[in-house]
Amino acid sequence: MTVKAAVKRPMSASARKSRNLNILRIAALVIIVIIVLIPFYISFLYSIKTHSDISLNRLALPKQPTLENYRRVINENKYVAIGFKNSLLTTIPTVLILLFATSMASYILARNSGPFYKIMYSVFISGVLVPFQCIMLPLYMNIYSMGLVSTNLGFILARSGLQVSISVLAITGFVKGIPRELEQAASIDGCGKFGTFWRIVFPLMMPINVTQGVLNTLYVWNDYSTAVVLLREDNSRTLPLAQIIYFGENMSELNLAFAFFMLAMLPVLILYLCTQRFIVSGIMSGAVKG
Amino acid sequence: MKTQTAVNTGRKRRFTIYALREHGGNLLFMLPAFALFAFVELVPFIQSIPISFTDKKAIFAKAWNYVGFSNYLKLLTNRSFQETFEHTAYFTLIYILGANLLGLIFALMIWRGSKLNNLVRTLLFMPFTVSLVASTKVWSYVYTDVLMPITGQPSPLGLTTQVIPGLAVIAIWRDMGYCMLIYIAGLQSIPLEYYEAANVEGANWWTKFFRITVPMLMPAITSNVTLILAWGLRCFDYSQMVITMKAAKTTAVFVYEYIFGNSRAGVGQAAAIILTLALVILTNVITVILRRKEVEL
Repeated sequence: MTVKAAVKRPMSASARKSRNLNILRIAALVIIVIIVLIPFYISFLYSIKTHSDISLNRLALPKQPTLENYRRVINENKYVAIGFKNSLLTTIPTVLILLFATSMASYILARNSGPFYKIMYSVFISGVLVPFQCIMLPLYMNIYSMGLVSTNLGFILARSGLQVSISVLAITGFVKGIPRELEQAASIDGCGKFGTFWRIVFPLMMPINVTQGVLNTLYVWNDYSTAVVLLREDNSRTLPLAQIIYFGENMSELNLAFAFFMLAMLPVLILYLCTQRFIVSGIMSGAVKG
Repeated sequence: MKTQTAVNTGRKRRFTIYALREHGGNLLFMLPAFALFAFVELVPFIQSIPISFTDKKAIFAKAWNYVGFSNYLKLLTNRSFQETFEHTAYFTLIYILGANLLGLIFALMIWRGSKLNNLVRTLLFMPFTVSLVASTKVWSYVYTDVLMPITGQPSPLGLTTQVIPGLAVIAIWRDMGYCMLIYIAGLQSIPLEYYEAANVEGANWWTKFFRITVPMLMPAITSNVTLILAWGLRCFDYSQMVITMKAAKTTAVFVYEYIFGNSRAGVGQAAAIILTLALVILTNVITVILRRKEVEL
């Protein structure tokens, strides 16, 4: 009886105020999330409606939801499959190259403080301040002279180089926060630089490498401005290029265009949702040092 | 004497061999990243400067002359170039303010760790996974199919006077989640004791916000503002995707058109250098101003 009475004790004014505030906060969050997700909802909705359904009333729920649009997009336009192939064959190598190249460089930059390393760090970071448009012409000429325009390899090299600065910035900040004791113990035990890095440091860098890997995937998969310069032949188009051209040619068939959008978006969206725990905490951990 | 020098050189030799092995290994570790960086950023950047002083027309033109600063002078007095710069600046200003204000407000609402807050963080960051071109296309339908029936206003993307704010809204929608995460990290690093002390003094929410939260968030604000500034000034994709292209033409699009469309590579390259200078100068000015605020605390 006494316990029940204690529970039922009326709340103090400040507790009631904070509870009301929290209800208000949650209501506001629900509204914000709904607004932010509207574009996703529309893309999904349009992609599962039939052509007649969509021209009748765009926002109404579909009479018969259909996956026919997805099948037609894949079968009727060969550039969808080509775009997927090119995007996969450029994104995956770029992300892997960056994973090894930038984690090794960042380890050295984080663990050495001499003037040479400070200058190297500044040189790497300065790339953040150069817009792509500034280096676009010489880069195009160099890649052209190597015969790599409109090839996956040329695009992989360009995209990897463009991501080096931001990756080094994020990973170096993270490595500075890893204690050195383990490395020192390993080197006393006779472990060389290579061994120490691969066996001790690289595994500890996993959280930032996953974050940076997913961010790099997003940047490369969604890239348009580099692709439009370097990929000049139909068969070398990546997904964003293929999408724009498809959209221009199929303005009247919205359901197909949106099915294509969904197809291009889903792989990276699923990747993000699977790794979101790392992404959110990874961006936050790299942020403080800015 | 003799032994002394022997010991000395011996130590020096050992030191150099050690240093060579140490630094040689370090250089090897940095080599792959540096090679990529040099090939894509450093070397092209060095090559880009002389091109901006030439009258080069087509990209692979064999005949061209150095013309000094005439490209730069031509551009700075060229009305259509000035317009692209105004568009870029206008877009970037709305983009910085919107993404940072909304990011900060959302961060204040959900910075504490809880199941609900983590879910909201995940969902609010989701737009960042959509490509810029797809965002613009999808939003053109959000404007016409969702917002027009509600507000009665036509899509801003179709109006020359409103296309820039219309595009900035899309960019804010996409990137405010990123700003939010950085603000959450900043908020979580503020020691709770500061707020407890303020509570004892009887400070209200606003006082605490402006006297503790904002000054402590200054590093996060600096990093977000400079990041969005860099993204805003290189805005290319958004303005390529709308029909009212002339009213939405940014400097980045101007550069692309001059180099790859109009075959006036020298002028286009000079425009790109001006854009880079603007980015470098603005980034430094903003960093200095915000850093000073940090110290004043």
